[in-house]
Amino acid sequence: MPFFKITQIRSAIGLPKKTTGVLKALGLRKRMATVFHPVSPQVAGQIMAIKELVAVSEVEQALTKSEMRANRRPDPGYYIETPASEAFDARI
Amino acid sequence: MFGPFRATSPLSGGLLWKIPFRLSAPQKARQRKRLRAVDTVIATIDTALRKQGSSLKEVERWKAEMPREEEMRPKDKYTVFDRKEKRYRKGIHSE
Repeated sequence: MPFFKITQIRSAIGLPKKTTGVLKALGLRKRMATVFHPVSPQVAGQIMAIKELVAVSEVEQALTKSEMRANRRPDPGYYIETPASEAFDARI
Repeated sequence: MFGPFRATSPLSGGLLWKIPFRLSAPQKARQRKRLRAVDTVIATIDTALRKQGSSLKEVERWKAEMPREEEMRPKDKYTVFDRKEKRYRKGIHSE
């Protein structure tokens, strides 16, 4: 199921209450916040109302907040070796 | 007292002008970038809906009526209508 990945790029400070309401309805509270919504005419209409404030892309999978955070995490640069005997036991 | 819209002497009128009459080249480039961002949003919504076989009246109307960034005239890109201004146009950067 395709999703819209919506990221708020510009702030809604100084804009009409209606605009702020649409952002709130989509779950966008501050700049650079990202939400996922299924592709539907309803959501598309909401995006049309705030098209100047957001960046949108179409993705196959919706990510949770913790998954997005894990994706941003840099490679630690090391890995922990397991003794061959333990690895062998784990396989059995 | 602070912030972008504070009452400074150039803004409170008179003959002290600090905002240049023309937009600089980087200001114009950033404005074109913002306009293109909207075009990408519209294109993304349109392709996503079309894949589903649905469409949206607002998107169809936007595509029929509104020019994309490269189709716009410089006048429309960098100035906006203002009924109080001489010749009814003011730069996007003034106030």
